[in-house]
Amino acid sequence: MMTVFDVMLAATILWTAWTALTAPDRTAAIAAFLVFGLFVGLSWVRLGAPDVAMAEAAIGSGLTGALLLRASRGMTPPAPTRVTAPHRAAAVITAAGVAGVLAWAVLVLPEAAVVYDPLVDANIGDSGVSNPVTAVLLNFRAWDTLLELVVLLAALLLVAALRPIRAARMADLGPLYPPFLRIMAPLSIFLSAHLLWLGTSDPGGAFQAGAVLCGGLLALFFGGTLKTDGPDVMPLWALAVMGVVVFVGAGLLAEALTGTLLEYPDGADKAWILTIESALTLSIGATLLLLFSGLRQGGARP
Amino acid sequence: MPDLIYHGVGAGLVGMALYRAATCADLLTRILALNVLAVGIAAVLVAAAYRGSDVPPDAVPHAFVLTGIVVLVAVTAALLALAERLERDGDAGRDNADE
Repeated sequence: MMTVFDVMLAATILWTAWTALTAPDRTAAIAAFLVFGLFVGLSWVRLGAPDVAMAEAAIGSGLTGALLLRASRGMTPPAPTRVTAPHRAAAVITAAGVAGVLAWAVLVLPEAAVVYDPLVDANIGDSGVSNPVTAVLLNFRAWDTLLELVVLLAALLLVAALRPIRAARMADLGPLYPPFLRIMAPLSIFLSAHLLWLGTSDPGGAFQAGAVLCGGLLALFFGGTLKTDGPDVMPLWALAVMGVVVFVGAGLLAEALTGTLLEYPDGADKAWILTIESALTLSIGATLLLLFSGLRQGGARP
Repeated sequence: MPDLIYHGVGAGLVGMALYRAATCADLLTRILALNVLAVGIAAVLVAAAYRGSDVPPDAVPHAFVLTGIVVLVAVTAALLALAERLERDGDAGRDNADE
């Protein structure tokens, strides 16, 4: 029975992906991409990866879709590309070759994926948290996560440098929007804090919490309550930078206390992880909002 | 069994995305293709981490994929800003070069 479900879900994922890549209309393509992300998330829940599925639905599908829609507004519709027969044949051979090798790889390497697992199992007791994904992200491989935050900040700087242009005009959202906002904005903060706390033992964590917080901030942004130009942008910038600052500070402090970079003192791991994750949540929420809204300093360009 | 099906889906997504990235000149479609490519690779990793319905899956590939999703959104935002800039200044830049 579940096999039928799997096959149908697999077919839906492939079909929505193909629609997203080939639809002649931009809005249709982006809508297909949104649906595609949600179905992929569903397939990952099926494979026992709810943490990843949540992040894919919120960030990979929702926020990326919003970014794409925002960008597509100012772009001309796609013109059909002329492709010569040899070009097309080369593309087919490359694509089919890479896909075939990927599909074949799993059949010849069935036991390849069990290298790290015993190490995680053996050390999870020392990590301060019981969700293995959080333990890997914030303790065993905290260095990777720190650099990931730096990547986010670098992307934000690039967007800020490239997009100091005309103000996006907000459509009037009608009289029902402020009451909606009064419910949604506090709810997103609650949900975000809940996911953050839950991340230590169950699916959840800083990235999912940050994405939910970004949703709330975006709702405020659309309502005009939160402005990302003029002097109001400075607190958001401070929040965006804070994640890296707190993470680096914690790493150096841990170095001073234990002699190893990002090796938290024994017994206090959970407090350290939660402190870092709280800073990351606020930072990710602010960074994602700024990536969406773009940044405008007054009078930078005509 | 489900891991094999979704592993195949991941491989199929990678193939589709590579094909469209190679045969379409439109910038937004190429950015979409990059996203589908990344999701395809993530699907292969998540499928590789699965070991049956009653055994907890391997957490390390999951952490890789989570990191990948966040990096991907940052890359997408940066690419979209570049594409918008090209779209807007592309013609003006050409005019200036002609003068």
